[in-house]
Amino acid sequence: MINNKKRRGKTERAETRKLWDENPVKIPLQKSRKRAVVLVTVILFCFAAIFLRLINLMVVDHDKLSQRAAQQYIKEKVLTPQRGVIWDRRMRELATNIETDSLFAVPTQIKDTRTLSSEIGPIIKVSTREIDGILSKKKKKAFAWLARRMDLDTSRKLSQLKERFNEGEIGFVKEPKRCYPKGEIASHILGFSNIDDHGIAGLELVYNDYLKGEVESVTVGVDAHGRSLARDIKEAMPGNNIILTIDEGLQYIVERELSAAMEQWHAKAVTAIMMDPMTGEILALANRPTYDPNYPAASGPEYKRNRAITDIYEPGSTMKSILACAALEEKVVSLRNMFDVSKGTITVGGKTIHDVHKHEILSFQEVIQKSSNVGAVKIGQRLGAEKYYKYIKKFGFGDKTGIDFPGEVKGIARNVKSWSGTSLAAMSIGQEIGMTPLQMLRAYSAIANGGSLMKPYILSDIISPSGKAIKKVVPVVERRVISRATSDKMKEILKTVVEEGGTAEQASIRGNLVAGKTGTAQIFDPKIGRYSREKFASSFVGFVPADNPRIALIVVVFEPKGATYGGVVAAPVFKNIIEHTFAYLDVPMEKDENRIVLVSTAE
Amino acid sequence: MNTKYTRSILISVLILVVIGTVMVYSSTALMSMREHGSGFNFLWKHLYTVCIGTAVMLFLSRTDYRKYRSVVYVLLGVSFVLLILVFVPGVGISANGARRWLRLWPTTFQPSELVKVVMVIFLADYMDKNLDRMRDFRYGIAIPAGLMLFFQIIILRQPDFGAVMSLGILTFGLLILGGARLRHIGSLVLLALPAVYMLIMTSSYRSKRLLCFLDPWKDPQGCGFQLVQSFIAFGNGSYWGLGLGGSKQKLYFLPEAHTDFIFSLIGEELGLVGAMFVIAVFVWLFLKGFQVSMRTSDPFSYFLTLGMTMLIGVQAIINIAVSTGLMPTKGLPLPFISYGGSALLINMAAAGILMNIAKNGDVASVHSPDPLYVKGANRGALQRAGRAHSWSHRLR
Repeated sequence: MINNKKRRGKTERAETRKLWDENPVKIPLQKSRKRAVVLVTVILFCFAAIFLRLINLMVVDHDKLSQRAAQQYIKEKVLTPQRGVIWDRRMRELATNIETDSLFAVPTQIKDTRTLSSEIGPIIKVSTREIDGILSKKKKKAFAWLARRMDLDTSRKLSQLKERFNEGEIGFVKEPKRCYPKGEIASHILGFSNIDDHGIAGLELVYNDYLKGEVESVTVGVDAHGRSLARDIKEAMPGNNIILTIDEGLQYIVERELSAAMEQWHAKAVTAIMMDPMTGEILALANRPTYDPNYPAASGPEYKRNRAITDIYEPGSTMKSILACAALEEKVVSLRNMFDVSKGTITVGGKTIHDVHKHEILSFQEVIQKSSNVGAVKIGQRLGAEKYYKYIKKFGFGDKTGIDFPGEVKGIARNVKSWSGTSLAAMSIGQEIGMTPLQMLRAYSAIANGGSLMKPYILSDIISPSGKAIKKVVPVVERRVISRATSDKMKEILKTVVEEGGTAEQASIRGNLVAGKTGTAQIFDPKIGRYSREKFASSFVGFVPADNPRIALIVVVFEPKGATYGGVVAAPVFKNIIEHTFAYLDVPMEKDENRIVLVSTAE
Repeated sequence: MNTKYTRSILISVLILVVIGTVMVYSSTALMSMREHGSGFNFLWKHLYTVCIGTAVMLFLSRTDYRKYRSVVYVLLGVSFVLLILVFVPGVGISANGARRWLRLWPTTFQPSELVKVVMVIFLADYMDKNLDRMRDFRYGIAIPAGLMLFFQIIILRQPDFGAVMSLGILTFGLLILGGARLRHIGSLVLLALPAVYMLIMTSSYRSKRLLCFLDPWKDPQGCGFQLVQSFIAFGNGSYWGLGLGGSKQKLYFLPEAHTDFIFSLIGEELGLVGAMFVIAVFVWLFLKGFQVSMRTSDPFSYFLTLGMTMLIGVQAIINIAVSTGLMPTKGLPLPFISYGGSALLINMAAAGILMNIAKNGDVASVHSPDPLYVKGANRGALQRAGRAHSWSHRLR
């Protein structure tokens, strides 16, 4: 069978060949076969040329080309670190970071600059011309920022728009953005940081080196669009976290009350600081007017000033406590010394100082309680300028408190040698001397804690991202200012201030007596060259509970309208803050009539 | 002819198709993952075409290729209609600024690929009939080149410059083989040169492409990008390559890594060894085709074999020459390997036809003892020949 088939094939083929040879078209086909051989040779030569070319590319040029390949597969990538978190003393976040989109353009890839800028401009709120400018300036570059750290709404709108552009014209990068979740709360303490995550105000500035973290650049494998190939790129080392002495709850109470006071008195500014008198820890610090650190550009510098430590004011009657301390410590007076203030005025160096209310003969204690100016001047005269100045310096006036905050001012406490004839009298009633509210609060804290001048501080701990303590701040006693005995006496005197005429119902909550002092100072107006008759700084400074002080608080209302006295303007603010503070700290209250009562006292 | 050639052709085609499938997956997995969520998106589509292509190839390898002679004008007509349909909105699909595809569920079809095969069949039939008149300008050049030009002009409107060029090379190659006078062809080429020059220079896009081809390193980020990236792929591959799947150029560096520039990727991943293997398979396939043509019994079979062989070989050469920077960039796929349905399908069909010629090309006819009297197709030529040489008595 097989043989048969084979044979048949053979005969068929022979027959075919014979027919083919006899074919009349044989001649052209023979020529064609020659041409076909030439064609095949040409094609084989082509393959040979390709072979040589491959050798050239893959062997000869291998080094050059693979070097170039290696260059394009990697990219230097800057890792933006997460800025450290700022917590309050109970680990509540005051400043943190959120992931935001940043928009960049690839100018070399952009075909139609005008369409791009006119479409994107309105969304990122940048003028078309400005975008054109950026793009034309970086025409040859492969990267240009268009908008950094956009809010969610903007980036959502843009990502819808992005599909309309060609691949690689624009793109997004995730960048952490500083975020202050509590808004205005503690804005003056925290400050803010700029678009490059660099702190430029407040604690963000002071502790920037700790917070910022390490900017690292790593080499990553990328595809042609510059996208990283590694799934888990190493994160940049985040900044250290910070724990403050601030208590967010107290801070909130203070902020709220300041807002109310600001509205009620149409004041130019209000400031309050709450401090632990025993340690110098700042528990709360707030100013009005204020701003939202999430949008720092929206408010002018007036709103951002931390008046509590950058503004000086003349304290007025609150200074009388300092005078009294000095007098008691130097033993030039005793509590039983009596002062005749029945004239109601006293003339010193050609200047007459008045009392607000007329009194007869007052004891030393009553001079402070009723805030008699004449009495204070008399105490001052008995004490003498040298000794008074010594205590002014001892209490830290005229020197920075050393709080960890930028822009602190020293205040003005002129050297005794340059005092004029009226200076002693003026300073006895708290004029001719300038200080920050913080300095005054620190002085009262010294009275409260038994005579030690504490260094105020706002940063409690610095903790590394892994939880390791890097820095722990402990209370620092600057110096002993007055003896415990003087301190105790002063507490007794200051307690009487909040009792009406010394006989009124107690301002106490289950024995939590308030000790404090009002102050109303005229503000020196540089425009008219003398003290203004309309502008006052009304203040109240004190501590609770008087016998075992836990909280020291100062409230200063600058230029209130309608009323001026510290007892009317600032004391109610103080009272409200303390009331809510007790509620917040779970200090039990008793009956209604036992609530703190702060009343206006004579200045 | 025994089945040796059939098997050789089948095996070499299957080797190329398998390499192609692997490389298509390798080059598209990542891109597909990013854009479609699954790494297999392109692979499935490619395998779908491979299955259909294999079926078509096997079917055509069992279909008597002489049957095409009777339908050659039908095929020309169908090609023309399909080419025109591309321009009909809704039926034709445009992509990357070109209208080349027809919507054909679930995939697309590129009529210009079909035109190449139909043109080869037509020319084989035509030259068989006019073998004695091929030295005549009118029959040897004017009529077939006119038809070619007609198709070229339509294809140029799509535009598909690569198809225009390969169609031209194929037609003139076959005409030379058919006995057209080299003097005619030479003068025609000389005449065409200014036209080609105008075509290139009037289009800034084409002239830029030409300049970039001459010196791609001048603007490696701009128009020279594709070629430079192709060089880098080859250079990085060296002798043994980076290993299958090891390409870095496919990470969007090398554009068209799965279609026109798949050979660069083969060079990068499989090295000089792999690239040479692929070329060797092409050369082998080409030589097998040539051998088959030398054993055919009649001019039609002879020309058809050479035409199909050239169709595959010329396209392979152009594609590889482009990716190695020996020729200006043209969008032409690598036969059997590149991703792209129509080209793969048509090339496998061509291989199927070749296989059938290999099987019965040397047997003149089972029905007729006269090899030239196949279904009356060659009667005219023989009659003319008979008149000229008074060989009519040889007609049995």
